[in-house]
Amino acid sequence: MSGDLAARQAELVATLVAGGPLPPGFAAAPVEAARRALRRKRAGDVARHWPLLAAGLGADWPAVFVDWAAGRPTNGSLRDGWDLARELRDRGTLPPLGADELAWREAANRYDGRGTPRRRRLPALARSGGAVVVQFAGRVRLLRPAPR
Amino acid sequence: MRRMSGPSGVGIGWRPEIAGFVADLPGLRFVEVVAEAVAPAGPLPDGLTELRARDVTVVPHGVRLSLGGAEPVDPARVAHLAAVATALDAPLVSEHIAFVRAGGLEAGHLLPLPRSREAVAAVVANVRRARAELPVPLALEPIAALFDWPDDELDEADFLTEILDATDALLLLDVANVHANARNRGGDPAALLDRLPLERIAYVHVAGGAEAGGFYHDTHTDPVPAAVLDLVRELCARRRPPALLLERDGHYPPAAELRGELDALAAASGYPVVT
Repeated sequence: MSGDLAARQAELVATLVAGGPLPPGFAAAPVEAARRALRRKRAGDVARHWPLLAAGLGADWPAVFVDWAAGRPTNGSLRDGWDLARELRDRGTLPPLGADELAWREAANRYDGRGTPRRRRLPALARSGGAVVVQFAGRVRLLRPAPR
Repeated sequence: MRRMSGPSGVGIGWRPEIAGFVADLPGLRFVEVVAEAVAPAGPLPDGLTELRARDVTVVPHGVRLSLGGAEPVDPARVAHLAAVATALDAPLVSEHIAFVRAGGLEAGHLLPLPRSREAVAAVVANVRRARAELPVPLALEPIAALFDWPDDELDEADFLTEILDATDALLLLDVANVHANARNRGGDPAALLDRLPLERIAYVHVAGGAEAGGFYHDTHTDPVPAAVLDLVRELCARRRPPALLLERDGHYPPAAELRGELDALAAASGYPVVT
């Protein structure tokens, strides 16, 4: 068994964070629960891509993200945060800072909710939760922040 | 500078978000700080400097050493922990019996070891490597886990006792982890207390958690459940540890609620209130 521990630890980490198969002998449900718990940590990564969204939710951020992330495999931190911000907007619970950030991103990029966001080539006006952002020739400007 | 005394009484995990709350606790003698959050070369956070000036003991608590990794512990991480201990004039440091990375991947969380002799040997080797560079004693904390490895050779008490016996490490017993493991992985938490070397406890962790999806999650963001306070009483009835520390890592409640949690810990242990 000497030297085996390193390989088995690597296999387990891959299962938990990289979609690797369940190592032989492990119980599926508890390992799955652990994988879900790691989503709480994922919340921190998304917060770095969407700092205003996370700041706007303050202490509620981890719980809001984990609730949303349950059952959703990651599409990368940028898209995860984007999808969450749109859902909060539709529910009417997007905080003003998050609304500013979402409108900024929507004005600068085209994102269909399925593929990689693409930079817009044409001028665009985006509104979100009262925030108004204009983009012209790649320059983005917040015309009006969401009401605080 | 004189070395601070060991942890005593009821303490709380110092976090920047609650630095003001912690600073206002009149009876506080002991806090813990996440070691990786401290830059020992730079100025310490104001809150910690103030506590130090009041002779409050500050214990650096590492979370990323990966003492249970099959590979040797990273010397740079050990050096950082040692420097933080020196900067804070700490009487001891603490870390976990766990691994956090393997095969080049970071788990982002504390992961359990198989309770095997091979794993005992890996931990013992890393504890010895770390101790050789640390200026103060090391306390080891058994973690909470949701799952077991399939081929345990030892039970939890024997696994922990073998590690402690083969090193000079102290025990940082997390009562919430004992509760969580019993709830999620089976076993009688009080029976485990009967078999652990309670005389080696440097201090105790207590934290909140919540039931979700059929498991008890040691969240550190929920209130301390009654069952965990009951276990604190069970422990103190056997042998009262020198200190007990409340860990809270988010969803910080109003000050009155947090004071209530500290008071409940004082009541359960019989130590003076610090609020």
